[in-house]
Amino acid sequence: MGIDGISLVLVMLTTFLMPVVLAASWTDITRSIKSYFFFMLFLETGMLGAFVSLNMFLFYIFWEVMLIPMYFIIGIWGGPRRIYAAIKFFLFTMFGSLLMLVAMLVLYYLYFDQFGALNFDLVDVTGTGVALLDTEIALAGEDVWWKTQHWLFAAFALAFAIKVPMVPFHTWLPDAHVEAPTAGSVVLAGVLLKMGTYGFLRFAVPLFPDAAVAAVPVIITLSLIGIIYGSLVAMVQSDVKKLVAYSSVAHLGFVMLGMFAFNREGLEGSVLQMVNHGLSTGALFLLVGMIYERRHTREIGEFGGIAKPMPVFAALFGIVTMSSIGLPMLNGFVGEFLILLGAFARSAVAGVLATSGVVLAAAYMLWMYRRVFFGAVENPENRGLIDLDLREKAVMLAMVIPIFWIGVYPNPLLRRLDGAVSEVMRQLPASVSQPRAPASDVLESPPAATDEPAEPAEAAP
Amino acid sequence: MNAAPSLDFLGVAPMLVIALGSMVVLMLEVSLARAGSFLGRPATGVWRGTLLALVSVVFLGIVFGMSAHSFLAGSSHVFNLDHPMVRLDRFANFGIAVIAMASALVCLLSFAYLSELRIHHGEYYALILIATLGTMLLVAATDLLTIFLGIELMSIPIYVLAGFDRRKLQSNESALKYFMIGSFASAILLYGMALLYGATGKTELAAIRAAIEGGSATNPLLVAGMGLALVGFAFKVSSVPFHQWTPDVYEGAPTSVTAYMSVTVKTAAFVALLRFLIAFEPLQESLIAVLWWLSVLTMIVGNVMAVIQNNVKRLLAYSSIAHAGYLLLGLLVATPEGYSAVLFYLLVYAFMNVGAFGVVIALAQHGRDCDRISDFAGLAQTRPGLAALMTLFLLALTGIPGTAGFVAKFMVFAAAVKEGYVGITIIAVLTSLVSVYYYLRIPVVMYMREAGEEEPRAELSTGEMLVLAACGFAVLFLGLFPNAAPGPLSGFRALDWARQSVALFF
Repeated sequence: MGIDGISLVLVMLTTFLMPVVLAASWTDITRSIKSYFFFMLFLETGMLGAFVSLNMFLFYIFWEVMLIPMYFIIGIWGGPRRIYAAIKFFLFTMFGSLLMLVAMLVLYYLYFDQFGALNFDLVDVTGTGVALLDTEIALAGEDVWWKTQHWLFAAFALAFAIKVPMVPFHTWLPDAHVEAPTAGSVVLAGVLLKMGTYGFLRFAVPLFPDAAVAAVPVIITLSLIGIIYGSLVAMVQSDVKKLVAYSSVAHLGFVMLGMFAFNREGLEGSVLQMVNHGLSTGALFLLVGMIYERRHTREIGEFGGIAKPMPVFAALFGIVTMSSIGLPMLNGFVGEFLILLGAFARSAVAGVLATSGVVLAAAYMLWMYRRVFFGAVENPENRGLIDLDLREKAVMLAMVIPIFWIGVYPNPLLRRLDGAVSEVMRQLPASVSQPRAPASDVLESPPAATDEPAEPAEAAP
Repeated sequence: MNAAPSLDFLGVAPMLVIALGSMVVLMLEVSLARAGSFLGRPATGVWRGTLLALVSVVFLGIVFGMSAHSFLAGSSHVFNLDHPMVRLDRFANFGIAVIAMASALVCLLSFAYLSELRIHHGEYYALILIATLGTMLLVAATDLLTIFLGIELMSIPIYVLAGFDRRKLQSNESALKYFMIGSFASAILLYGMALLYGATGKTELAAIRAAIEGGSATNPLLVAGMGLALVGFAFKVSSVPFHQWTPDVYEGAPTSVTAYMSVTVKTAAFVALLRFLIAFEPLQESLIAVLWWLSVLTMIVGNVMAVIQNNVKRLLAYSSIAHAGYLLLGLLVATPEGYSAVLFYLLVYAFMNVGAFGVVIALAQHGRDCDRISDFAGLAQTRPGLAALMTLFLLALTGIPGTAGFVAKFMVFAAAVKEGYVGITIIAVLTSLVSVYYYLRIPVVMYMREAGEEEPRAELSTGEMLVLAACGFAVLFLGLFPNAAPGPLSGFRALDWARQSVALFF
């Protein structure tokens, strides 16, 4: 086990979200409360374990163990189609991870053949200090390893892509999100999806750098499809929760795009965006849950003019919406901006398409916001709505503070990401990790950061 | 040939103890039935059954202790050195310990269940003990004759046991079907053995191996004999395409009998098959093709057919077929890792399956089994403990990390990948993905549906409670600490034991 900048921010996100979520489920969860807390804490154990594991086997165990509590949380406390959603969630994730297990075993024995030692560790502690394991296994010929690497990468990538979820594998997500109880949705969006992107960054890319680079066009294309398709589908949803769920697909597309831009801006933005998505989408789900508790519907058409009876709710929803579409000063902007920088540096076309995704995001979020909050209160049921109580305000305040904080002053986080991102860059083949465009200093990244990437990249064989 | 054979009775000591036990139980049953009271209490059916169950457990416990002791001591005894038919080595001791333990667990599960079904007769325990004797003989057999003897001694009492609920039509059907198909399988096995004897002139496994290595490997008689014998074994381990009897027999037999045969017969048959395969190692090439297909078909058919079942016993029957597929994969690998994974798997399988059937047993009431999946609805509200345990056993059967089932599957897959069997391992993991679906159907109805009208049985008997707790503990313990536990249990190293057991073959 161990922790670096990337896992640190995700561990912090997890430990931050869990108490908030439990506070938010105060009135939502009314039956089998004991088992609910049991499953939630069990889930947290799994998530934290996966984020700090540096051993493939251990990671796999935590990764799988997470499924069970989430399965029960969706299945027991969820909505009307909960059983279908829970099983779909379980089967989809399990499918990928079982293939990943086989890939892990293959890698394990390849390593054994090469070095005569059995080792599931991702970190090689026998070398000079602690460095991520170099798996440049020189098989009989370069060629064989090249091919093997592709297969192994494909197996890992499939497991993670399902979890992210990237586009062709995303269909479990809307179901799971819509049916899960509020807290389940928040944890699912906030943390569980990050498991996939984190897996890419921690396992798939450093273990199989050549294959990862070869996969860049595929992954970038899928991410772009995810961004645009997710946004378009979100636009036509009539259910607020489903809309947020599809917006997740789009946001995670950004995360993947930034990561596979394979440059400093992209990677940092990608990790930061993982946190941002956890905060803003988590907050959106919380808000949707609050209105659902009052009205027992999430249909946009049922609402309208909610801002009048519930001004505080409307204001908070507004802030979170802005954060989600990446308004400057709020967290979403920082992450998306870095990702777009990275994407443009990799490929202008990708950058342009991704930027159109930002526009689309603004369109569907603001349109939804207008239909729900503005206008006259036409539905009489909405007239008597009570605004947020103290507990709900406290919960939302806890979410909004970091949203502002990251938006205004992300440096403490970025600084911690620096070292970890450099390590990932070092693992990549020199051809990609050398910055093509001059690194941009718009965000005043700490001075140490700008000159570092070039040097280890050149040193790499 | 004429010299007096040098007999080492330590080589058959566990069998003798069990044989004695079965006789004691039989006699006790008769004399208790005559006597109106025993030790000042009226000898009612339930009380009598409980006593007989406890006596059986004591005998099984003695055997377990003996085999565990000689396993740890590493001693090895051959009954007749001139003609080694029974060899009580580490490998056999491992199998005997697993079987004795599983049989004892089943005996403890049985008495309340049998009185619930109103079929409480003392012969039950005697028959269980005789069948156990057969499985032990099979486990220790090193000669075609003793293998056959063990299989018959194991099967015949189980034919009777399957029809033990004689007023129930299904139970009769189950017995008859098992008897017909079982005899058929025995005949094929015997035919195969006869051909093997014809080809090599030997019945002892080691001698057969020597004969094959000596140059008769291409003899068509030998290959045909091996094939027929494999078919016989495939019937016993319920491997596809010789599996059709399994669901019907498992469903019709009283659940405690199902639990018994799903575990002990499978364990004994696999252990014997392992010894048998080792004798035919020189023919590895043709064996691999056969085992590959058997394993793949068994995994696919078992898992896919389980999906459409609505009866828990039938579902577990197909799941046991599926598990036979994974076990065959371990045999296919044919390395120390593969074989030790099979042994460990069998140990774990005993706990998982006895546990899962134990929950079904604990739900039986009003003289019938509660074995439809819909009977489990809302169990989490009415019987939260049972529901949690059932979930644990099913997750273990699925192979979710943290449970013993995962470690077992993992060891098999790891052994397979190590030998380069990546393709079949991918098939194996995909079929276990299918298994997620059907295993999870039961927790779904337990946790996510409302309870039906009928209240589940209110009380667990002490025996059931003990067995379920023990199985639950074992499934978690072997899952979390397969090889080394902290604290007072640190001597418990199941994986090492499995490795030591197969070490003598390499």
